[in-house]
Amino acid sequence: MDFFEITTEPIEVGANARRVVPASCGAIVTLDGFVRRFTKERETLYLEYEGYEPMALKEMEKLIAQAREQFEIESVGIVHRLGKLEIGETSVVISVAAPHRRAAFEACEWLIKELKRTVPIWKKEVYADGETWIEGEKNQ
Amino acid sequence: MKVQVLFFGATADAVGKREIEIDLAEHTKTAQAFENVIRDFPRLAEHKLLFAVNQEYANGDELLQNGDELAVFTAVSGG
Repeated sequence: MDFFEITTEPIEVGANARRVVPASCGAIVTLDGFVRRFTKERETLYLEYEGYEPMALKEMEKLIAQAREQFEIESVGIVHRLGKLEIGETSVVISVAAPHRRAAFEACEWLIKELKRTVPIWKKEVYADGETWIEGEKNQ
Repeated sequence: MKVQVLFFGATADAVGKREIEIDLAEHTKTAQAFENVIRDFPRLAEHKLLFAVNQEYANGDELLQNGDELAVFTAVSGG
């Protein structure tokens, strides 16, 4: 069963993985994306995520459909959190179940890369001395 | 006709609002509507922008209808 959701509550990574697993599968790959403390030399205090929720959900649904066309996978679950996130908290989790691990790894990598390019969600990094909306991947 | 324009993150900061309503002539295409918005809020031009119409990425050619929902935002940074 595929699913794609947006939440403002903490994400349980293990529970996310277990929701996608059908009996035909031998592997789940889960990406746990969380708030990094240091970006290069600069220390982040916390992050704020904002999303264009209805469009973000549509784009997530499209990504899952595209992943299913390209990779031998059974199911995908994506949850992205919005709002204020402290250092170390999970911002996104993507779980991919597949009969064999290789397709699950490849699909998971493709999904996070595409999510960061197309799903309308933005992060603001808040530092001790200011804050910045991150625009695209250029600062990473 | 009237359409709604939504802003998020850096574009909401640049405009000072999260949502506006604009008046357009009938048969206006999305490219023209976005040009008008940038003209009215020139600080938007400091950013590399993406555009959407009715929650899909816009290519500029879509014909707008009364009540459509546009959005102007920067390159995304989720994950």
